[in-house]
Amino acid sequence: MADVTAGHRKTPLYSMHVQAGAKMVPFGGWLMPVSYSSVLGEHKAVRQACGIFDVSHMGEIRVTGKDAARFLQWLTINDVARLSAGAGQYSAILNTAGGMIDDLIIYKMGEDEFFICVNASNRQKDFEWIRDKSRDFQVTVTDESDQWAQIAVQGPHSLAAISSLLQADEAQSLKNLGYTHIMKSRLGGEGALIARTGYTGELGFEIYLPAVSAPKVWAALHELAGKHGVVPVGLGARDTLRLEACYLLYGNDMNESVSPLEAGISWATKIDKGEFVGRNALIAQKSSGVKRRMVAFTMTDDGIPRHGLPIVANGQRVGEVTSGSVLPTVGGSGGMALVDSSLADGGTISVEIRGHQKLAKIVRRPLYAARTK
Amino acid sequence: MEFPTNFKYTKDHEWIDVQGKTGTVGVTAYAVEQLGDIVFVDLPEAGKSYKAGDSFGTIESTKTVSDLYMPLAGKVTAVNTALKSAPESLQGDTYKNGWLIKIELDNPSDVSGLLDAKAYESFIKE
Repeated sequence: MADVTAGHRKTPLYSMHVQAGAKMVPFGGWLMPVSYSSVLGEHKAVRQACGIFDVSHMGEIRVTGKDAARFLQWLTINDVARLSAGAGQYSAILNTAGGMIDDLIIYKMGEDEFFICVNASNRQKDFEWIRDKSRDFQVTVTDESDQWAQIAVQGPHSLAAISSLLQADEAQSLKNLGYTHIMKSRLGGEGALIARTGYTGELGFEIYLPAVSAPKVWAALHELAGKHGVVPVGLGARDTLRLEACYLLYGNDMNESVSPLEAGISWATKIDKGEFVGRNALIAQKSSGVKRRMVAFTMTDDGIPRHGLPIVANGQRVGEVTSGSVLPTVGGSGGMALVDSSLADGGTISVEIRGHQKLAKIVRRPLYAARTK
Repeated sequence: MEFPTNFKYTKDHEWIDVQGKTGTVGVTAYAVEQLGDIVFVDLPEAGKSYKAGDSFGTIESTKTVSDLYMPLAGKVTAVNTALKSAPESLQGDTYKNGWLIKIELDNPSDVSGLLDAKAYESFIKE
């Protein structure tokens, strides 16, 4: 059998996952835990208590310099001018045709300093794009991905779990930390950052740690199993959790030929803020009418929709499933689909599963109402 | 992991229990473990005939879809419809209540071409 794991990178927590009995799979160039015991069990633990996720594969890029704010305002779709120091926002970088190069989170660390979290599989592409576009600006762009490990702590008990590892002053700051805001912390030693955000639809935090501190913080969190119901969670449940919350997954739900207007993130696309890369294409798309829309759907018939399956309505092919799965908390199965705009307001569709038309219905996004705030 | 010695096995991880002209077909404990949480099983209707190696249905975990293959040629005589509403019951009970279909074998003697428990066990260790 070919060794499909050869040549993949390992996070600083790799050996701890193996020791915990996790099933490891290649993902975005990394060898990552897909599940420790059961995807459904891990999913439930995050909805009801607390899960810890190794997301060290994510990329981190820092942009500093006197033009940093002006540069990122021009490079990204959201309004960087709205960020105060310590605040973050969901955003994306587009090509000139308005297609998504990546979706990302930008944190403003200081007047001339921004910290950007990008998808693992796009890290190199993003870094080169950002660096190449920065030539006419007085900024320094640094790929810090190798220095950082990242642990996501998600679920209703996440605040209590992390707080129990912090000194009183930091625990208080964490409690007051606003959604998408970030704070410095001494968790695990010097130099950690804790952001209140996540990819599950639950209250949660993402902790950036110098790679060397990650194993002891992971172990300390894992030891809270008895007290706060903390369980390690793999990529399998990460996917079902984010799908119920209708958070996009790059490469599945969107790519360089999908615009943010089609992908359903118009709320983060600030066309009126002024010039930015891809804006002209978005304006053209708006004036001629956005042709496709991202919708959520649930299955009426039996069957599990999967990425790439055709969507049919009135005998016509009208789109395709971008993400699909069982929906453990919502019940049944369903997902997201990129469909003809005429269907954006709802209706009955079919998903073609192995040649059979299976009934489904378009429903309001999200499938699971987030409890992040 | 257990592999009953009175059953026969395929390299596609199905088991078959042959009694006279009737075979009961399921998936092995190894397959179930590899799949993880089983969330959906799609089975044919009784009366359908298949050749050995034909796909007669699918089994789905949270992440993947796998085909189910006929260990031997035959006609489906019974289907375990209980799995439709409770696919998770395959976990831990794949050799008894986790059976998938019963078939009337075209040639019961073909069973000698399948793997026995020992051969299957060494196959999955390769």
